[in-house]
Amino acid sequence: MLHYLIKRIAFGALVLLGASLITFCIAFVIPADPAVAIAGVKADPHTLATIRTQLGLDRPLYIQYVRYVWRALHGDLGRSYARRQSVTGLIVARFPATAALAVSAMALSLILGTLGGLVAGAYRGRALDNLLLIASLILVSIPVFWLGTMFLVGAAAHFRWLPLGGFDGMRSLLMPSLALALGSAGYYSRILQANLAEVVGQDYIRAARAKGLSPVRVMLRHALANAILPLVTLAGLDFAGLLSGVVLTETVFNWPGLGRLAFEAVFNLDIPLIMGTVLFSAFLIVAANLVVDLLYAWLDPRTHLA
Amino acid sequence: MRGALRTVLFAAFAGALALTIGGCRADLPADSFPSGAAVLRLALADDVPTLDPAAGYDAASWEFEQVLYDTLVRYAADSNELRPDLALSWGISPDATVFTFHLRHDASFTNGRQVTSADVRYSIERVINPKTRSQGVQYFLPLLGAADFAAGRTPHARGIETPDPYTIIFRLDKPDPIFLHKLAMPFAAAVPKEVVERWGEDFARHAVGSGPFMLKQWLSGQRLILVKNPHYFLSGLPKLDAVVALIGVNEELQWLKFEAGEIDISSIPPAEFTYVMKTPRLKALTIHHVTAVTSYLGMNCQMPPFNDVRVRQAFNYAVNKPKLVAILNGRGVVARGVLPPGMPGYDPDISGYAYDPAKARRLLEEAGVRAGFAPVVWLTSDPTMLVLGQSIQQDLALVGINLVLKPVAWGPLLDAVREPHTAELFLLGWGADFPDPQNFLEVLFSKEQWGANNDTFYYDPKVQELLTEASVVADPKRRYELYQQIQQIIVNDAPWVFLYHPVAYVIRQPWVHGIRLHPLRPARLDYIYVTARGAEGEQTSGETNQTR
Repeated sequence: MLHYLIKRIAFGALVLLGASLITFCIAFVIPADPAVAIAGVKADPHTLATIRTQLGLDRPLYIQYVRYVWRALHGDLGRSYARRQSVTGLIVARFPATAALAVSAMALSLILGTLGGLVAGAYRGRALDNLLLIASLILVSIPVFWLGTMFLVGAAAHFRWLPLGGFDGMRSLLMPSLALALGSAGYYSRILQANLAEVVGQDYIRAARAKGLSPVRVMLRHALANAILPLVTLAGLDFAGLLSGVVLTETVFNWPGLGRLAFEAVFNLDIPLIMGTVLFSAFLIVAANLVVDLLYAWLDPRTHLA
Repeated sequence: MRGALRTVLFAAFAGALALTIGGCRADLPADSFPSGAAVLRLALADDVPTLDPAAGYDAASWEFEQVLYDTLVRYAADSNELRPDLALSWGISPDATVFTFHLRHDASFTNGRQVTSADVRYSIERVINPKTRSQGVQYFLPLLGAADFAAGRTPHARGIETPDPYTIIFRLDKPDPIFLHKLAMPFAAAVPKEVVERWGEDFARHAVGSGPFMLKQWLSGQRLILVKNPHYFLSGLPKLDAVVALIGVNEELQWLKFEAGEIDISSIPPAEFTYVMKTPRLKALTIHHVTAVTSYLGMNCQMPPFNDVRVRQAFNYAVNKPKLVAILNGRGVVARGVLPPGMPGYDPDISGYAYDPAKARRLLEEAGVRAGFAPVVWLTSDPTMLVLGQSIQQDLALVGINLVLKPVAWGPLLDAVREPHTAELFLLGWGADFPDPQNFLEVLFSKEQWGANNDTFYYDPKVQELLTEASVVADPKRRYELYQQIQQIIVNDAPWVFLYHPVAYVIRQPWVHGIRLHPLRPARLDYIYVTARGAEGEQTSGETNQTR
């Protein structure tokens, strides 16, 4: 187990190094001058040259990269060109909003997806199953930015039930979480329904029925426990994606999270901030992968870690 | 074991949810003000880049910096007339090389310390110091000894003298008739040394100035709150108790919030503009003015066939500018030259190039440009720019030019136009920082600015000579005559297709008054006031400052 953990952490570190190298190279391939990003479009040539020297942009690329990695290892991801603030500080400031949205959206999508999958599994091949199939396909197909805009126009602007975007407690969390969760819930419900269909034909389910257990108990206690395992992998990876920030949802709902921060960084060609957000997202995905693998092994003792 | 694990997982999940929401809620500012407080609610599409006056060089930063800090002089609310701010009076030597200011005695920073001439000197030297990486350094390098100070050879710039706490003298190495305007830019705002040194590069997050408002809270990506500075030296200002700016609200969401009464001033999304202008109730609440900006199609004068003046003039005749303004729903004024209306030196009699495709065809033929010539125009991928680009594409097709649009991001566009022999055509605009034609004509058309702001790589020896002459002429009449002469030569040489001057619109709630749009700067928040919402509808007419 310990050996496995060490191996996975080392592999994760390599992935992060690769991610940093790729983003660093991309940043230098982009035909945009960081000195102009700092000094503004109206800066004179002398000011631009001074800034290039100060930033060390006139030094060889590999030296710039080594300096970046060394500082990143010490938690310093540089300073944003556009905002003149510490990139680490900006990420730390925005992460709670993204985490709140990710946790609530994940909770909602798991609850709704599990309910939908269970009902569809219980009524397999019947009208309700078909109805849920159509509903889940619609939910999976609706673009989240459209759904979000409809929520805003309907629930917030027209009926005034909920706040018009922004980050201000539980009420403001509901619409963006729901907009994010509905698509995933539709997907999870189909996965669960398919897994349940496979599981209910197994001998141990027949045995449980033969013992005289109620259909609800058979479904919840025996079928669901095994059918839900593949969802752990899916949900784990989705959760890492959510924690990295969801650009469209955060933009539509004026949500001050990492996704919008990354979007603004790209829009402003704020290279240190782009690199910082990408590296942080890569870290979350590597960490989530590791956690999912460990969880899977814990939930299903037949899985061997090697 | 698995049951226990599920319990732990559930607890962790619920805990994480509670912590994140709870943690965030604890971070939220208490923006509930006492009942009856005059609070102006705004929404911004993007976060404010900075509140450090040495760093900000954009409208969003300046909107707040200009009410958090004071400069020696500042503009009147809605004109380019300079008014006293920290300085009560000033004198300028006849040759415009020595500027002497006498400071007021009742100005203090919001930390309680009095503002003195040493603070003004420190603030300007901070801008000159290369470690600050200020975008404003170029405006203060003409001070005597500025280069020595920047190089660390002297502790102070020799050209800034502070004989007593309330007098400051600036000495320049050559005449600069617009130096006063440079001192009105937020770069020259007074900041307290002790606070700057305490917070270093994070001073912007802990901004302390002497202006009518002070910073209460700035939550990255969420909101910015300014509150009234009770010790501000001008009685009666500011008229508001607080300003709350929601951050990250896109234009469409701003509009929904405006309609719901959640914000007090909003921009108008293009999709809603016609509706607003056709609805008398809303139209009466709009405020607009012609900006000091010129939008243009630049032509690289060093790249053939645009090194031939006939080709450049042909493009000017071929582009239908009134159509572009119509595409913008009338939010523009056709440009006939470089300078926008309202800019000193603006020549209303300049004829420019009327739409004349026949003349354009004839000029192209004379220049030997064959039908089917397909130049590439670089432009940003902004939807409005793309529509304008397509309109120009259609116009040029009528004279046998197959224009190719190349939409790119802002950074690559700037890089391309600054590289010689790279971008033959490009759609850009230029806005003035201070009301003087030098800020357009010298910055955009002098040879020193090749590779920087002279993106057409234009050069004319006569223009160069006149620019050098005009830059040191202090007499406004003579100065503007020279610049009009320069502009006429440039219009004849046509390095740009002169397109339009944008007209900016905002809309206010009926209870919001006192908005004065400035030709160069964001509207000052300290003159705005709000009345009770019950009094809606009052004073909706005659509130606009329509400078058109």
